[in-house]
Amino acid sequence: MNEYNVCGVVIHVRKEKKQAVIKHLLSIEGLEVHADTEEGRLVVTVESEDKYHVADTIDSFKDIEGVLTASMIYQFCDQPTQDNPNSLNEGVAA
Amino acid sequence: MKLTRRDFIKTNAVAATAAAAGITIPGMNQALAKGPDDIRWDKAACRYCGTGCSVLIGTKDNRIVATQGDPDAPVNKGLNCIKGYFLSKILYGKDRLTQPLLRKTNGKYDKEGDFEPVSWDEAFDIMAEKFKAAQKVSMKENEGKPVEKMTSRVGMFGSGQWTVWEGYAASKLFKAGFRSNNLDPNARHCMASAVGAFIRGFGSDEPMGCYDDLEHADAFVLWGSNMAEMHPILWTRITDTRLTKEGSEVHVLSTYEHRCFDLADNGMIFEPQTDLAILNYIANYIIQNKAYNEDFVNKHVNFKKTPTDIGYGLRPEHELQKKAKNANKGKLSKISFEEYAKSVEEYTLEKAHEISKVPKDKLLRLAKLYADPDKKITSLWTMGFNQHTRGVWANGLMYNVHLLTGKISQPGNGPFSLTGQPSACGTAREVGTFVHRLPADYVIMKKSHRDFAEKIWKLPEGTIPGKKGYHAVLQNRMLKDGKLNAYWVMCNNNMQAAPNMNEEGLPGYRNPDNFIVTSDPYPTVTAMASDLILPTAMWTEKEGAYGNAERRTQFWREQVSAPGEAKSDLWQLMEFSKRFRTDEVWPAELLNKMPEYIGKTLFDVLYANGQVDKFPEETVTDDRGNEYGNHEMKAFGFYPQKGLFEEYRRFQLEGPKKGHEQAHFDVYHKVRGLRWPVVDGKETLWRYKEGYDPYVKAGEDFRFYGKKDGRANIITAPYEPAAESPDKEYDLWLCTGRVLEHWHSGSMTRRVPELYRAFPDAVVFMHPKDAKKRGLKRGMTAKAITRRGEIELQVETRGRNKMPEGLVFIPWFDAGRLVNRLTLDATDPLSKETDYKKCAVKLVRA
Repeated sequence: MNEYNVCGVVIHVRKEKKQAVIKHLLSIEGLEVHADTEEGRLVVTVESEDKYHVADTIDSFKDIEGVLTASMIYQFCDQPTQDNPNSLNEGVAA
Repeated sequence: MKLTRRDFIKTNAVAATAAAAGITIPGMNQALAKGPDDIRWDKAACRYCGTGCSVLIGTKDNRIVATQGDPDAPVNKGLNCIKGYFLSKILYGKDRLTQPLLRKTNGKYDKEGDFEPVSWDEAFDIMAEKFKAAQKVSMKENEGKPVEKMTSRVGMFGSGQWTVWEGYAASKLFKAGFRSNNLDPNARHCMASAVGAFIRGFGSDEPMGCYDDLEHADAFVLWGSNMAEMHPILWTRITDTRLTKEGSEVHVLSTYEHRCFDLADNGMIFEPQTDLAILNYIANYIIQNKAYNEDFVNKHVNFKKTPTDIGYGLRPEHELQKKAKNANKGKLSKISFEEYAKSVEEYTLEKAHEISKVPKDKLLRLAKLYADPDKKITSLWTMGFNQHTRGVWANGLMYNVHLLTGKISQPGNGPFSLTGQPSACGTAREVGTFVHRLPADYVIMKKSHRDFAEKIWKLPEGTIPGKKGYHAVLQNRMLKDGKLNAYWVMCNNNMQAAPNMNEEGLPGYRNPDNFIVTSDPYPTVTAMASDLILPTAMWTEKEGAYGNAERRTQFWREQVSAPGEAKSDLWQLMEFSKRFRTDEVWPAELLNKMPEYIGKTLFDVLYANGQVDKFPEETVTDDRGNEYGNHEMKAFGFYPQKGLFEEYRRFQLEGPKKGHEQAHFDVYHKVRGLRWPVVDGKETLWRYKEGYDPYVKAGEDFRFYGKKDGRANIITAPYEPAAESPDKEYDLWLCTGRVLEHWHSGSMTRRVPELYRAFPDAVVFMHPKDAKKRGLKRGMTAKAITRRGEIELQVETRGRNKMPEGLVFIPWFDAGRLVNRLTLDATDPLSKETDYKKCAVKLVRA
């Protein structure tokens, strides 16, 4: 199993372009839009086992028409431990 | 439902992101409460720019595995930019230096030899030998000279990325220990013009306002700042205000179109250098339309003029210097309001338009905005004003506009000088690392200030020399001329950063008379041009403190150990001082004034002085009971960070100057920073204004107490042309700067694989028509040539920057395409800061 990467991003979009931006975003692999606001803020995560996919994705936001800013909030990158390659899939709580 | 570790991590990501966006997602906190956390989280100030974001550092097994925007931080409110997002990776570049490297041939130091690993002992042996030899020559040259005329052959180039105590320790070692004022920081390249204008205008460095202005203002005006890429978090705050506040507006001025224009209501492209004319036009408009605040002006402002035709800070034999009538002059003289009004009268809308090429309706809209008494305006700038051969003037002309209208020192109203480095303010400017400064705004030219510093430092009278040392650009010239011979570069990459590398930088470092030492975590261009490289513990591998652009001081604890034998700058400075006995650096007549120092080392005198070593070793903990290391405390047997900071605070508390007070060391480990002055435990958000600043008495309304009479200066200055403009042969303007993905010279960000990939190599941004005229197309390799050098790089005619015809932009992050082979070392004659934004270049097919 490869490393696991997840990134949480807040994106500011022009109100009038919000739906078009969301549609564009949802076509990106591993991307989810968890919430959005009236003023044009989106809560987005990008997940991948390929760190470059995450990086390239967040770098591409600025080129989407209607996006004003994209701020990274949370970054996690971890490899499963040697002695337990399945550690990331193990339960931590019921 | 079974929650896997992966689910848990993702839930964390969603929760943190939603919180930063101000959105509640039902059930989120509940999910988080259930999980375990084998990651230790603690706060730290970001390593990069002057914004001063706080990040949470996730550490596991002595390694940083995660970072998160700090939701409790007032600066960034949980947000991170893309560089901050990859912050944890800057420590783990593949070519991290882990032991000292010395140029050798046949086992012996040789300037022409190759780098070989050596022990710290061997490194410091040769370094001490070279410093002592240079010091001996200086002592001989200074025999019989008064302290005001002393010179030195040893020097240091320091940093706005040093922690507060590192800068302070360096200032002590050089100004007192080696009696050399040849200490200047890389902040000279970015902030010196801002400093000069603050001192001339207000008598005290650093902004009056703070980032709270970004929510209070009705309008924002950017003057020579690409905040969307260089200060993305502050830009996000402005974006938020613009999108949510009815009637708010954004004006952007630049010499080319960049990403800030996406949000701009009034975007303006002006000819390089003509910002001076536009600023004077606005002042003139305000006066002509009687829109100035008469009451404010009468009570709180003086009018002054500054000498004109002051040259371009080049070598004295340069044609432009010889031609200047008042080269380097800046002494102010008093004028009346009427004389001031007359001095700007010629800057009509027509003239401003003619010089700047900005459409008249856009200029008028901008002038009307400033003149509108009901609009709260925050003006922001960075290198566009500062890296300017008239940088002090440009900063000052901006203050003129805010002072004329009284739009200053109040929520939402104020001029705001942004900074590029994390502690350009907190360290470089505040603890005395410039050639003319001492800690807390005191200066070496005044005997009373030197006396005060010597008293606090427990040194004999006359230890600190009274003559300004060699500033950044002059250091390279003096290295080349063989007048500066033992030189330590620490926490910066000046071979890549300094202008005119071909004619000044490289010849200076490689001059056989000189010994050059560079301390860095990575083999930078500067390190590779040196004779000795010292491996450095960086950022959270040591306990640290930074001061950001809004006067906020922030601390962090040591999170992880440095690799191999890498040591912090603080350890290096203090440990090296043990190599010098007082009689090797000071003449007998000075030492005889305090015979108890005979036979002592500089370490004994400067650091084991009963003050810096006052605080015994302790276990560093947070409020959750986690324990942290402190390698310097372990090495020296006392708490040096605390001792240095508390000694530095005495400059703020015991001198005649008020208004720079910080809180006790221990306080900062508990809070998300405090903005000085901190008086009675309270920070100050707006300086000089009654009700906000404790030093302004009831009834005074405003008091600019940095000046004796409490009045700020409006200083008139005209438009004067740039040092080098395009001509027939070199027919384009060259502007240099940064891009979002890389921070400054790229020595950290280019080692983060994701950032490297996002913007691997510098390109030349140019207008498609300019490209076509030269037989170039997007993606082709071009040769950029100036009178000083040439480089090859790819042509970019699209993308984030849209260039006007006649101007090209090249970022400076790329060690493989060094744009400072092209730039001219023309500086502002007052601030000595280089103008990296303007010189003449030609482009041809490679």
